[in-house]
Amino acid sequence: MTHDSVPSANSPRELLTAVSDLTRRVRVAQRGTWFPLLVFAVITLVAIPVERYAPQLGPCQAGPEEGTLVCAASVASTAVYWPVALMLAYAAIAVFYVRQSRQRGLGTPIRPYVVVGVVLAVLLAGASLWLAYHPLAPFSAAPSEFTPTMHAVSWLASPLTVIGFALLVLAWVERHWALLAYTAVYLVIGLVQGGQVIQSSSRWFFLPYLLVPAVVLLLGSAAFALFRPVGEAQPR
Amino acid sequence: MTDHPANGLDDVVHQRVRLGIMAIAHQARQVEFGFLRTTLQLTAGNLGQHLTVLEKAELIQIEKGYEGKRPRTWVTLTPAGQTALREEIAHLKRLIQEVEQAETAETTGDR
Repeated sequence: MTHDSVPSANSPRELLTAVSDLTRRVRVAQRGTWFPLLVFAVITLVAIPVERYAPQLGPCQAGPEEGTLVCAASVASTAVYWPVALMLAYAAIAVFYVRQSRQRGLGTPIRPYVVVGVVLAVLLAGASLWLAYHPLAPFSAAPSEFTPTMHAVSWLASPLTVIGFALLVLAWVERHWALLAYTAVYLVIGLVQGGQVIQSSSRWFFLPYLLVPAVVLLLGSAAFALFRPVGEAQPR
Repeated sequence: MTDHPANGLDDVVHQRVRLGIMAIAHQARQVEFGFLRTTLQLTAGNLGQHLTVLEKAELIQIEKGYEGKRPRTWVTLTPAGQTALREEIAHLKRLIQEVEQAETAETTGDR
């Protein structure tokens, strides 16, 4: 029995081509890209009611008018919900990849991704708390007063950016060019959206900031599930 | 002439099926017998013989066990196997390079 991946001739070039082809086929068989995207979409959607109804905990400063107080946005969401949700997400992703790999008869390369993800989640919690108590600008400052550095720091310390960075690591672990391109688009959308300040007194003003990334993640998950190459794990 | 890359090729590794097994085990970290058999399209007996050769050379480690009631055989590349695979690929690349250089020199000489 022969196969295209194992050429009958033993020329160095054919052997190297066969090695590359086999390596690529194993990588494809190890992938399960749709699942992390689905999990991240779910935790982003769950963040909507958390953001709206979580108690407004956080430090306050004297407002521009005498006797008024201006408080930081609630740290309950960024410093508590997101790190916990991300940890649970990585646990679910790790279990999924290990089970999928065992079923397919392969080991999994997912450990670096999960480790980086957990470290980023811990850093996010630390950065959120630090920024709440050491704000870059007074709480009462208008968004137009923010410098590009302030916007950049806010973007970096955002849970959605943390998800994007973890997806970059996943793209590297899986050697997945399509995921790399998708993640770049996802991060750019986050960057552009982060720069758009919504002036609203509504308590739902944050909705687009969460809904848009959640929809992008859901669409990505569906696309990777539908257009996966032959050999990649099937959604069950 | 001892430094010619062809002299550095290991007969155990420089065999297309065994090189394939090692390449898969390297990328997969751990690979099951069934995956190897399907991917390399070999009979169980043929694959078993190649695995025995690699195991005797201490390039792979074979673990047998059960997953539920299903018997499973897992193959892992040993550190010596990792090194052997890396060296084999380096030798193959050098060999290709030398052949290409020789062909270029020949073409230039013909003009």
